[in-house]
Amino acid sequence: MRVGVLGIGKTPHKIQHSKSLRDLIVEAGRGAIADAGVSPSDIEMLYVGNVGSVGFNYENSTGLMAAHHLGVVPAGAVRVEAACGTGAWALHLGVVAIASGLYDTVMVVGAEKMNDLATVEATSIIAQAADSKEEYFSGLTFPSGVALTARKYMQIYGLTEEDLAHTAVKNHHYGARNPFAHLRFECTVEEVMKSAKVADPLKLYEVCPMTDAGSALILCREEILRDQPDKPQVYITASQMATGTWYAATDTLEDAYRLFNEPAKRAYAMAGVTADDIDVAEIYNSFSIQEPLGIEGLGFAEPGEGWKGAKDGSTWKDGKVAVNLSGGLLCKGHPLGATGATQAVDIIEQLRGTAPEGIQAQDPEIGITACRGGPGAVGAIHIYQRLEGE
Amino acid sequence: MTVSAIEFSRLGPPKLQLYAMRCQSCKQLSPWWEHFHCYKCGGEVLTEELLEGRGELTNYTVVYYPPRDFLGQEPYVVGHITMDEGVLLPAPVVDTALEDVQVGTRVKSTLRRMKLGHEGDIYYSQKFVVDPNPPKKRARPAAAKAAPAKKAPAKAPATKAAPAKKAPAKAAAPARTRTAAAKTK
Ligand SMILES: [Zn+2]
Repeated sequence: MRVGVLGIGKTPHKIQHSKSLRDLIVEAGRGAIADAGVSPSDIEMLYVGNVGSVGFNYENSTGLMAAHHLGVVPAGAVRVEAACGTGAWALHLGVVAIASGLYDTVMVVGAEKMNDLATVEATSIIAQAADSKEEYFSGLTFPSGVALTARKYMQIYGLTEEDLAHTAVKNHHYGARNPFAHLRFECTVEEVMKSAKVADPLKLYEVCPMTDAGSALILCREEILRDQPDKPQVYITASQMATGTWYAATDTLEDAYRLFNEPAKRAYAMAGVTADDIDVAEIYNSFSIQEPLGIEGLGFAEPGEGWKGAKDGSTWKDGKVAVNLSGGLLCKGHPLGATGATQAVDIIEQLRGTAPEGIQAQDPEIGITACRGGPGAVGAIHIYQRLEGE
Repeated sequence: MTVSAIEFSRLGPPKLQLYAMRCQSCKQLSPWWEHFHCYKCGGEVLTEELLEGRGELTNYTVVYYPPRDFLGQEPYVVGHITMDEGVLLPAPVVDTALEDVQVGTRVKSTLRRMKLGHEGDIYYSQKFVVDPNPPKKRARPAAAKAAPAKKAPAKAPATKAAPAKKAPAKAAAPARTRTAAAKTK
């Protein structure tokens, strides 16, 4: 399967009090439309990833609203939701739509406007993406639920908090160089350790901020992109989804591993590549611990070894596989519905060679994105390849 | 993440009494929220079983940014309690200084005010405190903190020496069995 990436667009990822959800959708969407060189009337179907507009913004029917403001009416449009995996799920539906042969050109948008509410309200809404009725009755939140995973990982594999802090250092190194990132500062292990406690053992620099942003892609049949050889020849060659446990409290590390490993194995087979072939990866890390979990699930390291790359350099830009050169969610923030789409846009920029200076990898050809949500309930893998002159 | 009064009564009594769900096919004990099927074997007949309320803190975090319903309690500890019956539950650990909270601590349940609903309604549930009289003998291996295992071990094996806790003679609430059939009634 090859699905052409005709166009990409994204807004800055930051707190944007002057912009509404529809502003973000239109800004990202128009960016992708312009990049693709199509007109809105060429779009045959629109998938909009958005998690919480009902809670964050007191509005619903985000897909239909987006169709109107992007000018794609009368094309079909729908809103997609799968917790933090939402943007990746919108992308999956776009890929399926093209691969099915039903459509020639579709649009995928992911967007979230989170900063209309105070942190305590937003935290409560985010907690609804897990089992807010029963499990989170215990007073857990997303950060604290994942903090339990972090402590478990540290206990079992004998890590110190400093060991884990290297992941935050790496992300912030690159986030500082990404003009689209929310948090743009570098930090040391000591500074990570001294940053405010959020949910023990996770500290502020190991936790993503609340961010407003949108990202968009125009996808097309392979032949349409092939017939425009002056356009960057980047194709999506695998798209695989999975579910995992609904209850984070009873999650084992094996559960966390399986959440990515199952769909990743399917995705590698689908694209005909192996983990060793991957040059660049964007791995979901709304909390630092999720990056090593993802590195392991994707097969870049053995279970218990995924944290080492940030310390020894093998997951830095010139390492064996460059992970989260965008700064990851730790720096871009995690605008829930946008995140999966942003990961895709960032990897496609890498393969096109148009990533910002300082974070562009050396001529990468194969990339992967791994988005998780729930926090253990959704796994989403996409593989991207630059395929010139084939 | 407020649970409405209606939702609360629909969920039944679990917040006031500490119980788990016993799969009648494979006998696996699941947390009380596993109403519909056993996560181990898929069996659909699960029977409520009261827990004795004693266990060990096997993991914990400190919540500094709570959801709205828990505002004012922060910072507070939420732990993984591995109950003596073998089931793992998340619950707050209270009445202990943050720096004294340790993996391996013996704890026991206590009924406390859990949180405030959005209309100021009070929800009660089980929290945990340090057990002043922990059982002398326990076969549970110490938390795997000293020796990093090569492979992530599965959940701690169920305690063998702990006497098979006979179901409390006077079950305060009649045991209920939820089955797929019951749901459609
Ligand atoms: Zn069973």
